[in-house]
Amino acid sequence: MVLEGNVLPVDRANVDTDQVIPAFLLTGITSVGLGVHLFKGMPGGLDLLAAHPDASIVVTRENFGCGSSREHAAWALADRGFRAVVAPSFARIFQENAYNNGVAPIVVDAGEIDALMAAPSLKIDLEAETIATSDARVITFALDPLRKRFLLEGGYLDFLANKRDAVRSWLSRSGSTVE
Amino acid sequence: MTQSLFEKVWNAHVVEQLPGGNALLFVDRIVAHEITTPQGALEIQQRYGDELFDKKRIVAMNDHVSPAKDTETAIQAKLLREWAKRHGITLYDIGDNGICHVIAPERGHIEPGMTVICGDSHTCTLGAFGAFALGIGTTVQTGAMLSGCVVLERPKVMRITIDGRLGHGATAKDLALYVISTLTFKGATGYAIEYRGEAIDAFSMDERMTLCNMAVEAGATTAMIAPDETTFSYLRGRENQPKGEAFEANVAHWRTLRSDSDARYEKDVTLDASELRPMVSWGTNPGESVPLDGRVPADANEKSLEYMGLARGDALRALPIDQAFIGSCTNSRLADLRAAGEVLRGRKVSVPTIITPGSQAVKRAAEKEGLHDVFQDAGALWTHSSCGPCLGMSMGVVAPGSRCISSSNRNFPGRMGAGGRVHLASPVVVAASAILGRIASPEELGAEVAGQRA
Ligand code: SF4
Repeated sequence: MVLEGNVLPVDRANVDTDQVIPAFLLTGITSVGLGVHLFKGMPGGLDLLAAHPDASIVVTRENFGCGSSREHAAWALADRGFRAVVAPSFARIFQENAYNNGVAPIVVDAGEIDALMAAPSLKIDLEAETIATSDARVITFALDPLRKRFLLEGGYLDFLANKRDAVRSWLSRSGSTVE
Repeated sequence: MTQSLFEKVWNAHVVEQLPGGNALLFVDRIVAHEITTPQGALEIQQRYGDELFDKKRIVAMNDHVSPAKDTETAIQAKLLREWAKRHGITLYDIGDNGICHVIAPERGHIEPGMTVICGDSHTCTLGAFGAFALGIGTTVQTGAMLSGCVVLERPKVMRITIDGRLGHGATAKDLALYVISTLTFKGATGYAIEYRGEAIDAFSMDERMTLCNMAVEAGATTAMIAPDETTFSYLRGRENQPKGEAFEANVAHWRTLRSDSDARYEKDVTLDASELRPMVSWGTNPGESVPLDGRVPADANEKSLEYMGLARGDALRALPIDQAFIGSCTNSRLADLRAAGEVLRGRKVSVPTIITPGSQAVKRAAEKEGLHDVFQDAGALWTHSSCGPCLGMSMGVVAPGSRCISSSNRNFPGRMGAGGRVHLASPVVVAASAILGRIASPEELGAEVAGQRA
């Protein structure tokens, strides 16, 4: 799958999930419709989005998505039409949440970020794991082989639902875990 | 084969190896709260016939906004309540509830060697029991409710040895802030930490939970402490634990949950606790912390300075504060309240101060000791138990530009309210600061507040 989209340059490190969507907006019971709250907790966040109204790829600095485990951060990004976040590193929980919601968490070398952030748009081939920049350079990245499937096809829950029999037979064999 | 504590727990729960270093990992305990659970409960109801893999492994609580603050949060609580009732899941609710990471161990739901998940990043708190306990998102929690398992990439293991004992008024919270400032805010990403050493051996369970609680603030998947006599005596006789021989048989197994002497670690760190002093955060992540006597560092991040209204070289001790908060899953247990009570006893706070116990049981225990009188005589607000001001969601929100000193775990921009500034510290430093109206250590109080004692 190839994503071609405009860049939202988030020139901050350690963008935590409270900045992506603040806690006081976590009062719902569904994962839809949260896009309107995206980056409301980030200083200057709303202005930045307004300046890049049709962006679909976030480019940012290290440790994106740290802090709270709230999947609402990935839901808000997806709901607002973001399909990828490109950063030198991610916090673990956000990275898992992003994979499970069709938002590709793409890790590239920190040295590439300035150029990617300056690019108005990028072409990202998720199958081939490459980013093509406008000056015709190609940057490669690696997705988790299993989670790539969840990213492209969804189905994390179905994957687990299909494991239930195997889990039950493991349990009856191991018999050791706590009640 | 030699194994670390982490490897022993991990290996005992791998149902299947999956591509890319991932495993299908069996989950012994799911802790479910009202903010991140209803979405998954509804999804299972709609798509999978409302069928849970094993309801006995789930415990639930309304804790983040409890009692509800508005219609939306009332619906969250109601959904959790109805779901728990429908399935016969243990639920801790208004009047008998508490913060998930406080109440789950307090009620005996967490044991050494368990795998534990919760849709909350501070689930690492529970690693204090020698469990592998981690925060996950709603989808992963939902998957575990459905199948008993999570898909997880095996973390690397970092051993952190804490030599020496804490002195100089330093607490487990100060050690946590020191570790994070040393490793940096993302320095443990991809790792499970194993804490060991003299200081850890001497810690109570409350202190161990405080230390493990903040492991995620260094990016760690979790932190673990091998169970010992302190752990066993905490659990012995506790609600939801077996009694007598059955319990002692568990203890015999738990004793094996220690790293073998030649276990291997991907990273090995040694720190000395004996020189540790009280710490305070100056910036917008917990790694941006310094000793209370310190100054804002010369290499401080510009965006953090701007948000916090500080300049490089500013002394932390001089900073006036507008609010104080003692509570949160980091520091709201009885030991924390006792320590704060020592500082507040017979003194008066000079800024609005909120003290929120971690559970209703902690509240009752504190009141038996008269701590509620100490707090209220000092002029502090003594509340019911909940997450409260920690996440700026229900009460105690900090105004833009105002400074709150807090015993919680996060000082992110907007964490306790848009534009609000948070300084993290131990309960005793928060208490001393509340009295003096500026960031202060308890040692300063001897002279300065003597006049208020009359
Ligand atoms: S007390 Fe704060 S950090 Fe702890 S679970 Fe509640 S909101 Fe999260």
